Amino acid sequence: MKRRQFLKISSALFASAAAPGLSWENSPVLAAPEERVVPSICELCFWRCGIQAQVKEGRVAQITGHPKHPLSNGKLCPRGVGGTGLLYDPDRLRQPLIREEVDGKQQFRPATWDEALDLIAERLGYLTAFYGTESVAMFNHGFGASFFKTLFKAYGIHTFSAPSYAQCRGPRQEAFKLTYGHGLGSPEALDVAHSKCLVLLGTHLGENMHNTAVQDFTEAVARGCHLIVVDPRFSTAAGKAREWLPIKPGTDLALLLSWIRTLIEEELYDRDFVEVNTVGLEEVRAAVAHATPEWAAAQTGIRAERILATARDLGRYRNEALVHPGRRVVWYGDDTQRERAIAILNALLGNYRHPGGLLRFSGFSVPSVKFPEEKNAFASFSSRFPLASAPPANELVEQTVSGDPYPIKAWFVYGTNLIHALGDQARTLQAIEALDLLVAIDVLPMEITGYADVVLPECTYLERYDDLDTRSYRTPYVALRQPVVKPMYDSLPGHEIARRLAGKLGMPDLFPDDMEAYLDGRLQQVGLSLQQLQVEGVVSQPEPEDLYRQPAEPLRFRTPSGKIELASAQLAQAGFDAVPRYTPPPAAPPGYFRLLHGRAPMHTFGRTANNRMLGELMPENELWVNAVTGKDVGLKSGEYVYLVNQDGVRSRTPIKVRLTERIRPEAVYMAHGFGHTDPRLKFAAGKGASDADLITHLSLDPIMGGTGMNNNFVTFTRSAES
Amino acid sequence: MSRPRKYAMVIDTRRCVACSACVYACKAENEVPEGYCRDWVVQLVEGSFPDLTLTNRSERCQHCESAPCVANCPTGASYHPGDGTVQIDRDLCTGCKACLAACPYDARYIHPEGYADKCSFCQHRLKEGLQPACVTVCPTQALTLVDLNANDGAFERLTAGREVQRDKVHLGTDPKLFWLT
Amino acid sequence: MTEIISNKLNPNVLPHLDIWTWDVALYLFLGGLSGGLLILTSGKLLLQSGGLLHPKAPPRDPGLSLQVAALLAPVLLGLGMLFLFLDLELKLHVWRFYTNFNPTSPMSWGSWMLLGFFPLSGLQALIVCRSWFSSVPLLQRLADQAMPYRNALAVANVHLGAGIGVYTGILLSTFYARPLWSSSVLGFVFLFSGLSSAAAVLTLLSSEEERLGHAQLMAYAMAMEGFALTMYLVGGLTSTGSSRSAMWELVAGGHAPWFWLLDVVGGLLVPLLLITLIALRKVTYAPLVPILTLLGSLSLRFLIVGAGQAISTIS
Repeated sequence: MKRRQFLKISSALFASAAAPGLSWENSPVLAAPEERVVPSICELCFWRCGIQAQVKEGRVAQITGHPKHPLSNGKLCPRGVGGTGLLYDPDRLRQPLIREEVDGKQQFRPATWDEALDLIAERLGYLTAFYGTESVAMFNHGFGASFFKTLFKAYGIHTFSAPSYAQCRGPRQEAFKLTYGHGLGSPEALDVAHSKCLVLLGTHLGENMHNTAVQDFTEAVARGCHLIVVDPRFSTAAGKAREWLPIKPGTDLALLLSWIRTLIEEELYDRDFVEVNTVGLEEVRAAVAHATPEWAAAQTGIRAERILATARDLGRYRNEALVHPGRRVVWYGDDTQRERAIAILNALLGNYRHPGGLLRFSGFSVPSVKFPEEKNAFASFSSRFPLASAPPANELVEQTVSGDPYPIKAWFVYGTNLIHALGDQARTLQAIEALDLLVAIDVLPMEITGYADVVLPECTYLERYDDLDTRSYRTPYVALRQPVVKPMYDSLPGHEIARRLAGKLGMPDLFPDDMEAYLDGRLQQVGLSLQQLQVEGVVSQPEPEDLYRQPAEPLRFRTPSGKIELASAQLAQAGFDAVPRYTPPPAAPPGYFRLLHGRAPMHTFGRTANNRMLGELMPENELWVNAVTGKDVGLKSGEYVYLVNQDGVRSRTPIKVRLTERIRPEAVYMAHGFGHTDPRLKFAAGKGASDADLITHLSLDPIMGGTGMNNNFVTFTRSAES
Repeated sequence: MSRPRKYAMVIDTRRCVACSACVYACKAENEVPEGYCRDWVVQLVEGSFPDLTLTNRSERCQHCESAPCVANCPTGASYHPGDGTVQIDRDLCTGCKACLAACPYDARYIHPEGYADKCSFCQHRLKEGLQPACVTVCPTQALTLVDLNANDGAFERLTAGREVQRDKVHLGTDPKLFWLT
Repeated sequence: MTEIISNKLNPNVLPHLDIWTWDVALYLFLGGLSGGLLILTSGKLLLQSGGLLHPKAPPRDPGLSLQVAALLAPVLLGLGMLFLFLDLELKLHVWRFYTNFNPTSPMSWGSWMLLGFFPLSGLQALIVCRSWFSSVPLLQRLADQAMPYRNALAVANVHLGAGIGVYTGILLSTFYARPLWSSSVLGFVFLFSGLSSAAAVLTLLSSEEERLGHAQLMAYAMAMEGFALTMYLVGGLTSTGSSRSAMWELVAGGHAPWFWLLDVVGGLLVPLLLITLIALRKVTYAPLVPILTLLGSLSLRFLIVGAGQAISTIS
C-alpha cells in the first residue's frame, strides 16, 4: 500500500470565522463604505494587470481593468473579469488540514493554524537537523511566494523552483542570456505594437491572453503589420496572418536556420549593426550553409519559395521586423537552441532597442527592505544541466526519487499544481512517495493538496496584501496588491502564514508585524506612501527617453565578448553547438498523432478550470483533430474519446472531439488545464482531459533541463476500460 | 437643438481575437444569469486545410432602426427610446416571447425572472457618460460605440478603407452593428 | 467547408428557437375553432328564417347543435386564452396588453379584438340559447333587448370570427425571422382549418337530419383549407432559400411524416373521401369522420408551431 494515499475528502467541517488578528483589519480601504472601488493587482495569471474591484454590499461584484495601470490600460482579459469566480469558489480550501491516520485510514483533519504550523516547524526541524536544509525544496508560482522565499532563505533553504522555468520560459531565458547577456523578462521586453513585420512561432497570442501582450499584438495587426505565423495549427493569430506557415511540428529550427542563411547569403541583414555589435557571423554563415530553402522545405513541409519569400520579408523590414521568442517554449528538447536561432535572427535584423524590436525594460526602483541574514548557509542546489540558472523542477523530482547527490525530503508547494504542471505524472507521484513532508499552500483543493501532509489555505489575491510589484516594464511602475475584502473562511494571506511560520521556526522578528507599515516604509523611501497606493493602485513613470537606441549609440552587452554572440563561445565551452544545429524530431509511431497543447483565452493552465464563472463559456477542452484524418479513423465531432499514448498510458478522462480544418493531419491539439480528477474540485472534476496524463516522455533540453513536452503521441479509444 | 443620438457599434474583426472578455464583462455588469448571455463571440472558419480564413465576431443585439421586436411587441415593452437603441421596459413585459420570435438575430432570451432581455448597449452606463462594459473591457479595442448623428467623423475614421459588413441587411431591419473585415 | 464556433448560451434560441409549446399550439387551434364556430353559427342565423335574407320572418328555433355551437364559440376561445395566459412568463403583467395598442403587433390587435369577441359572441349565444336561461331574468331581459339587433350582431360576429381565424395565422406570419411562418397565406390556412374543425364540431353535435349538411360544410371548408395549404406550400417552396429549406423540412424532412399522415391524409383526404362516400351513400356516417378532421386541424397547429421554431432562423 502506498504510504501516502491521495486524499479526496476534506473533512467537511467548515470554520467560517474570518482570520483573526490581522494588522490591517482596520485598513481604511476595508473600512470604507459598502460600495467602493478598490484598485489592486490581478492574479488570475502572472501578468499582474492592474484592476479595479467594485464592492457592493460587502461583496466583490465586478472587476474591471485599471485605466492607469500600464499592464492593463483599463482593459482586462476574460480571466481577470472572472476573478470573482475564484474568490467565491465554493470549493475553496477553508481551513488548514493535517493528514492523519485513523484506524489505518488516512484522512485530513481540520486544524488550527497553530497546530498546522507547529507540525510543519517540528518536522522541518527534524528533517533539517538530520538531512540539512538542502533537503527542503520549494516549488512556487505566483507573486505571493516572495514571503516564503524570504523565510526559507533566512532558514538556510535555497532550493526554489518555479515551473515557469523548466516547464515554460527557461530555454528562452538562457538563449537570450547567452546571446544578448540578458533575458527578456516578464512582461517580455518586446516592441510588438510597433513591429512592421512580426513572426510568431507557435505563440498563439489571442488564445494566450496576457493583457498588454495581446493589446500590443492587435495594435500591430491593426496598423497593418506583416504578420507571419508559423504553427501546425491555424490559431487565432494565424487567422490574422499575411502568411500562415503550417509547419510540420518540431521542425521550426530548420525553418529558422534557413531564414538565417538567406538573410546572410542575400545580405539582407543589418550589416552596420551586426558588424559593430555582434561576434560570430562567419561561424554562423558556415554552420547554416547547408540550410537552403529546399533543405528546410523537406524538413518543414513548407514550400521552399515560401521559406525564401518570408526570409526576404524579414530582410525587407529588417530593423522593424521581430521574430517573437514566444513564452512557453519547452517543446522538443532542442528548445534553447531554437530560441538561440531566434535570438540570432533578431540580432541579424538589428532590431535591438529599435522601434518594433527587442527592448530593455527597467523597473521602478523601490529599495527592498533588508531582511536579516540567513542563519544556516549551505551550498545551493547545483543542477546537472550546465547552463540552468534556476533549478529545473523535474530535476528536483528526479533527485527526490534518487536521493542523489543528496536527499530531498520535504517539499513546500506554493500555488502550483505539480501533478498537472510537470508532465511525467508517474514520476512526480513517485517523488512524492519519497518525501517525509509535503506542505501545499493553495487557494483551491488542487490535486497536489491531496498528497500533502499539511494543507495551508491561502486567501485569494482579492483578500490580501502582497509585496510591491516593481517589475521592469516599458513604463516603470510600482503597483500595490491590497485586500478588497477580508479573507473568507479561515484562510490567511501568504505574508501572514510566512510570518507565523517564521515565529515557529525561531525567527519571530524576521517579518514586520504590520504589513501596512512594511509597505508604507518601502514606499516612503521613494517619496510615495501606502495611502497613495491604496487609492491610486499604481504609480508609473514615463517611458525612458533612451528606450530606443540612437543610431550610433555604443552598446555593451553582458556577454563574455561584450557583444551579441551569434556563435556562442559559452555553449561551445560547455560542449554544445556554438551555432544551433537541427535534428529532426522523433516520428510518430504508426497510427499515432503528435499531441500538442496550448492555451485558451478564458483559462490559465489548470488554475481556473474550477472557476464557475469562466467555465460557463468553456467548461472543458476539446481535442482538435484534422477533419480529413479524423474522418479516416472514424472519429465524429462531438463524441468523447479516451487517448492512449505511445507508452500505453491512457487519459484518465475522455475528451470531446472537434474535427477541424485548422490543424495539420499528423498532430492533435488540446488546451491545457483540464481533466482534473480531484472530486473536491466539484466543477472541474471530470471535465475535459489532461495533457499531463499523456506527457510521459519528457525530451530534456541538455542545456538547461527544460522539459520538452511535444514528443508524445496519442491514439484514440472509445472504451472506458484500459 | 442638438440632434438626438443614434448609437451604433463598430466591431473590428481584424482586432478581435475572440477571447470573450466582452461576454464576461457584460455578464458581470448586467448580472446576466448563469446559462444566458447578452453578447457572444463567433469564430467563423472557411476553406480547407491549409487554405483557411478566420473571422472573429463579437455579436449582440443589433439595435435595429426598424426593429421587428419593437414592431411585434404587443405592450410597448420593447421600444426605441430615441437614442438609436432598442430597450426593454421590464414593467411592461408580459413574457409573451413575440420579440424572441421576431428577432432574426436571435439576440434575445427570457430572463429567469420572466421578462425578455438582451443587450442594452449598457444604457445605464451611457447615461453616466461611460462606455458599454464590453467596449471598456475589450483588450483589443475591437469594439467602438459611435453616435451616427454626432457628425464627429468617428464612424468614418473607423470605417475608412475597410469593408463594412452588416448582418441580414436585406431584411430591412437597418441593423446597427457594423463589422469591419 | 465552414466551421462556426459560437459561445452563445441562451436556451430560448439555441440550438433553435424554443419559446412556444403545446399551450400556444392549443390556443391557436382553439382560437381557430372558436372563430370558425362563430362564423358558422352567425352565418346560419343570417341565412335562416328571421335572418338577413328573411328579416321579417319569425326567427326559427335554432336547434340544439346551433345553440351549443354558439355557446362554444366564446367558451372555447376563453379556454384558448387560458392556455395563452399559461404561456406568459409574467402572468401578473397580463393587464399590460390593455395599456397599449401597437398597430404593427398582431398580438396587440388580437388582445383588443378579444374585447369585442367575448361580449358580441356571448350576446349572440345568449340570444340563441335564450330558452336555457329562463331562470335568470336578467339574462332573459338582456336577450330580449338584444333581439332586434340580432342580425347586425351576427354580421359583426361573422367578421369577428373571420378576424380571429385569420389572426391565429397572421400572428405567426409577421415573424419574418422564421421562414416557415413568414407567409400570410398561413392566415387563410388557419381560417379554413378553423372553419373545417368548426363544421366538424357542428357535425358531431348534429341531429341526423342536419348531419349531412354539416358534413358537406366541413367538406367545403376542407377543400378550401387544402387549397390554402397548397398555396402555402407552393409559396414556401418557390420562395427564398430560407423559405425553401424550411418548407422542404416540413414536406420532406423530420416533420414530414406527421405532416403527411396527420394533416394531409388523415386530416383532409380521408375525411373528404369519406364524406363523398357518405353523400353517395356508399358508406354510413361515423363520428370518426369529424374527429379525423379535428385531429388534423389540431396537429396542423402543433406542427406549424413546432417546426417553425425547429427550422433555422432566416439567413
